Amino acid sequence: MRRLRFLSATLAGCAALAIATPAAAQFDLGGLLRGAQNAKKLGDSLRKIPEAEEITLGGDLASIILGAAPLIEDPAKQLYVNRLGRWLAMHSERPDLPWRFGIVDSPDVNAFSMPGGYVLVTRGMFERMRNESELAGVLAHEIAHVARKDHLGALQQSLRNSALGGFTEYVSGGGGLAGTFRTALINAGKDMFARGLNKDDEFDADRMGVVIAARSGYSPYGLVGVLQTLSAAPDDKGFALHNRTHPLPVERIERLDRAMGTRLDGVPGLVEDLPSFVALRAPPPVRVLPPPPPPPRRRRDRR
Amino acid sequence: MVRAFLLATLLLVPVGYAQAAEKGLVIRAGDLMAQPFIDAAKTGPVTPNQPVTILERRGGWANVETGGRNGWIRLLNVRLEPRPATAATGQRASGPSVSAITNPASLLRTGSSGRTVTTGVKGMDEEDIRNASPDPVQLLRLGTLGVDAATARAHAQKSNLKENALGYLDKGRGR
Repeated sequence: MRRLRFLSATLAGCAALAIATPAAAQFDLGGLLRGAQNAKKLGDSLRKIPEAEEITLGGDLASIILGAAPLIEDPAKQLYVNRLGRWLAMHSERPDLPWRFGIVDSPDVNAFSMPGGYVLVTRGMFERMRNESELAGVLAHEIAHVARKDHLGALQQSLRNSALGGFTEYVSGGGGLAGTFRTALINAGKDMFARGLNKDDEFDADRMGVVIAARSGYSPYGLVGVLQTLSAAPDDKGFALHNRTHPLPVERIERLDRAMGTRLDGVPGLVEDLPSFVALRAPPPVRVLPPPPPPPRRRRDRR
Repeated sequence: MVRAFLLATLLLVPVGYAQAAEKGLVIRAGDLMAQPFIDAAKTGPVTPNQPVTILERRGGWANVETGGRNGWIRLLNVRLEPRPATAATGQRASGPSVSAITNPASLLRTGSSGRTVTTGVKGMDEEDIRNASPDPVQLLRLGTLGVDAATARAHAQKSNLKENALGYLDKGRGR
């Protein structure tokens, strides 16, 4: 008990020190890690970090995925996912985050989200969408993870080892508190992207995602169509990371079946596709087609 | 003339693609229905792992052909038949990949060997993420892409999307 009290005092002292350093202004680690010898508490504190810090943290995590696959150079598609994604997010519990959506240049099939409202979808995923309600389903699933702060809970596991083990270095190390924490965060983020979130969080995000889609005017069965696509490709390398980090698609379909039944069938006015999305999916003809040959008659004229 | 025909064919690809038939398997025992309604007439049973060809998706229903019969079953009662592992990742789940036409390099990525032919097309496996260096410039670009709520709402209204007040679902009961 006395030892514990001493530790708390030390931690509080470190926290005070952290607040006094300029680096700490970027990241209130003192507040974050106060009493953080208990990993559970760190997880709780992470979920409670102020929104501005959550957005900074999410941006650092997004930059990892962007380092593996950059944004595609297609302003029309990027604008489209942002309008759709923002509209969906407005029907979640966190409509006012600075939501940002992006399509990243990878043929693999996956989607990622980060704290603070970052959602990234691969080109491979985007190209497999049968209709707009499927894209809405994917984005809504990711939005649900952000709204629930699932990532912050998942980061706890990795940060326990790296951040807590080296806690005093964070606050007293010469490299700067924010920089050191950022390194630990990047590693924890890579762990999270490679291992995935909690399986139960995935099922919950599926159940929330179909409702967010339906609230926004889209068929909730779009996500089901995507899960069917995923169920057809168990051994495809392009699906490998997604499949390793998520529960089996068939199990997700079965769980959704149990939750949905026909409960959302009577919702009026839901759409599966929109002409603007059909047009967006079509390749621009100019890129596909060779230039038309000159009419033969004119050639004869030239001669 | 031939070119004009080619043009017409290519332009039709994305439209025809959505209608492409897919092979699926029934997940659990149920009934084939005459219409896509829960109280429609039952036209015969379906059994687990029964192969079906999906002809159309409509809301929560799939119009399927199975054993010479045609009818509707719940979309949530169908999974797709696993495709051969050799399918290229550039390929869509069904029908020809439009991107494969515009970007033939994507076809070179194979799934069978677990190896990626060097094409300049970047995959994203665990290793790619572990080796990734955070890209702050791309993050800044991502930051410029966001739209505000008013823009999103205006676009949704233009698209005639209808909002619905719905509560979240509970986990439901086992079958």
